[in-house]
Amino acid sequence: MTEEKALSDAQLVEMAKSEPESFGLLMERYQGQLSGYIRRLTQLAADDAQDLLQEVFIKIYQNLNAYDGNLKFSSWAYRIAHNQVVDYFRRSGARPQTAVLEDYEWEKIIGGGIQLEKDIVDRDCAEKVRACIEDLPLNYREILILRFVEEKDYEEIMDILKKPKGSVATLIARGKEMLRSEMEKRNINCF
Amino acid sequence: MKNLIQDTLNKIKTEHIAPEPRWKFLLRKAGAWALVGSVILLGAAAIAVAYYLISQLDWDLYRFTSRSAIAYTLPMVPYFWFILLGLFILAAFFGVRRTESGYRFNGLWVVALVVAGILLTGFFMARAGLGSRLDHMMRGVPFYARSIETKEKQWMQPEEGFLAGTVLSASEDAIGLDDLAGERWNVKVDEKTLVRPAADVSTGQMIKVIGTKQSARDFSAAEIRPWAGRGMAGAVSGQDKGCEKTGSCGNRGGMMRGR
Repeated sequence: MTEEKALSDAQLVEMAKSEPESFGLLMERYQGQLSGYIRRLTQLAADDAQDLLQEVFIKIYQNLNAYDGNLKFSSWAYRIAHNQVVDYFRRSGARPQTAVLEDYEWEKIIGGGIQLEKDIVDRDCAEKVRACIEDLPLNYREILILRFVEEKDYEEIMDILKKPKGSVATLIARGKEMLRSEMEKRNINCF
Repeated sequence: MKNLIQDTLNKIKTEHIAPEPRWKFLLRKAGAWALVGSVILLGAAAIAVAYYLISQLDWDLYRFTSRSAIAYTLPMVPYFWFILLGLFILAAFFGVRRTESGYRFNGLWVVALVVAGILLTGFFMARAGLGSRLDHMMRGVPFYARSIETKEKQWMQPEEGFLAGTVLSASEDAIGLDDLAGERWNVKVDEKTLVRPAADVSTGQMIKVIGTKQSARDFSAAEIRPWAGRGMAGAVSGQDKGCEKTGSCGNRGGMMRGR
């Protein structure tokens, strides 16, 4: 088991194709990240979020043969999670709810969104700005979360959302711009 | 909080969930690329027909009308095929984007490759005569027939001074012509009539005539061209076979008659 833990994701994928137990290690590696990602996007109750995460893992398992070793496994897993979340909203007819982010996560978005150093983002301001971010459409909110909370680079975001680099850059820029203009509209100027 | 990992593993085992076979994914990938290939083939067909139509028309006829080159040329552009071509390029672009790794390619490169693929395949299709065949297949479609400017339409405008048909008889000063609609015309020729080098004015040959409509079935020819092309090639300089003896007034090397 210890030896298996030292294996790379790609090696575990190969093993998991014939031994489901090895898939447990992959789940262990990504449970935290994917759970947070799903929670931030859906605001589901803990049990429901877990059910959705289980669906994501099952989907990953069923698609192991589609995994392309040129991609980072995490990007591929996030992509499946993203698709499952979109599918969940479509199936349930539910509208994306306010993202559940911790204060430090909001601060990351705000810091990245308005290009300020993290240490000058104050907590009161974070509270005010939170409302603005809540109103952003899901795709903009998601990309800001991926970039500034999950701290994914452009290449990874491309792989997760299956969008070309230009589109990713545009989405991020528009997300920031929308955030900025929403703040102006609400007269939030606390920096 | 339940043990998600163990639960998931149990579910995989109890429900006999297994990874889908690799061939399914490969087939899906191949299908996506085959779709792109099909759209490129359709684009190539569109460009082959557009090329055929363009090459069939005489683009210099504005000189014989009162219209400017642009005013004469614009309505003759095969927009139908160019619009289809644009749609196929777009479809191929988005088709590539929707493939597994399509999002990674530079957009301009994708467009450039799609256009290059369409042009190259279109070139071979045009060479194989597919453009002409497809155009003739489409002629039965009413909207298509109306929207496309064809060689036949261009040369069946006697009021405008353009007439085409099959030579029924040829003499020193007149040509009997059966036009494209089956009507018989008496085409007068004189020493000023320019007969293009490749024009063969023999019985049974198809020719195009530029001139003036004189009356219901009389036409005065200013220039005679072969049915295919503008007739500049194939000159036999100064040769005059004599209409009376051969029944043909052709191959005069672009000379004015009688000079």
